[in-house]
Amino acid sequence: MDLEDNLIEAKPACVNCGVALNAKSKFCNICGAHQNSQGLQEAESKWPLLKQATLFYIILIVSCALPKYVEYFDTTFWAFFFEVALWITIVAFFAINWRENKKLLSWQSFSWQKLCAYLAITITGAFSIHYAMGWLNVVIFPNNELFDKATGSGFLYSAIIVFFTAITPAVFEELGFRGYLMQSLLKISDKQQAIYVTAFLFAILHLQIVGLVWLLPLAVFLGYIRIKENTLWYGISIHFAFNLTACIFQLF
Amino acid sequence: MENSFATPPSPVLRCDGCFTAISDVDVYCANCGYPLKGTPDEQKRFIYRQNKSDFDLVAFTKRVKNAGETLYYLAGYFIFAGLVNTWHFWGVDNMLAIVIPNLILAMLFVALAGYSAKKPLACFISGLALYVVVEILIIVNNPGSIGLVSLIIIGVIIGYLIKGIKSAVDIEKIKRQHNIV
Repeated sequence: MDLEDNLIEAKPACVNCGVALNAKSKFCNICGAHQNSQGLQEAESKWPLLKQATLFYIILIVSCALPKYVEYFDTTFWAFFFEVALWITIVAFFAINWRENKKLLSWQSFSWQKLCAYLAITITGAFSIHYAMGWLNVVIFPNNELFDKATGSGFLYSAIIVFFTAITPAVFEELGFRGYLMQSLLKISDKQQAIYVTAFLFAILHLQIVGLVWLLPLAVFLGYIRIKENTLWYGISIHFAFNLTACIFQLF
Repeated sequence: MENSFATPPSPVLRCDGCFTAISDVDVYCANCGYPLKGTPDEQKRFIYRQNKSDFDLVAFTKRVKNAGETLYYLAGYFIFAGLVNTWHFWGVDNMLAIVIPNLILAMLFVALAGYSAKKPLACFISGLALYVVVEILIIVNNPGSIGLVSLIIIGVIIGYLIKGIKSAVDIEKIKRQHNIV
């Protein structure tokens, strides 16, 4: 009977002392406790989360920019070193909140139709971007080489190129951006803002301004699918298909 | 007879902190948490804290506004730089290589500034990251162009944007503390 009454009236109880409260009470009128302590905690954890994400992003920028722009680091050894540093950083940050983030690694919404549809969109997009950017590059940089053509040949060489430009970026960029960073941003703001901010940070980390024209839409697409499907695997597949298409253009 | 004299219409009790109606059994105000039965010292401290939060809110709102204005300033700067570069490099072979990135940046900053009133946090974070990366690219491509003055300007712009981000987060924290969400 008591229970039923409670259910019908649904009177909230104070989170601290358990006294019955008015539905509109923001504080307990007996002990003074704040009734939305969860919301308060969330609001208080935002700045530390932002600082953590900033640290993550600074490490990423440094590891991307140093081998690209500082002559001393312009060797295969250092390129490999920074690449591995990136992987370790990303995995470490992803593992900070492992209990929550491991859910993203399951693939419950898996379906062949969906995967094929996403991949078809991706490959069509990759082709259009390749030709559009090829044209744009000729218009913008008439004096430069069009694309970096691969310098070597052979199966091993191709395998290494595919590994470093299609497989590892797909896995680690998704883990880092659609995984760690997006999870943090979802706690800081709403879904829409999380998608756009991750997309933006992802796109500008590639350190090319003209490339933003296609990187931004691609990143928004990846973020949207990550939110919609609640798994990283569609993103990883799409990212892999996209990079592989670019890779094939580069090799052949 | 006695009774009708003894019970005059009692005035509604109101909280000293927020003026909502309260009942005489309340120890704390259910709307703002004011210690109704606390010592005068506790009550004074509560009012002081609430006033401080109000002042903070005003200050933080101003910082958010400043950060939004910083984005407008950056948008204006890149549009201006684009115009100057177009005029300066007109007819040169790689004119577009300079003007188009400039134009893209101007468009991005205009968009970020425009949306910053609606979604301040997202726009400030994106704007800050974009600005830092652009400055890195400028320094890397042309190390000689960076002098003390431009370093100071870069520092001020980054400072404004970081303050804007922190204030946007703090505003929400204060609102949650006082349950004004």
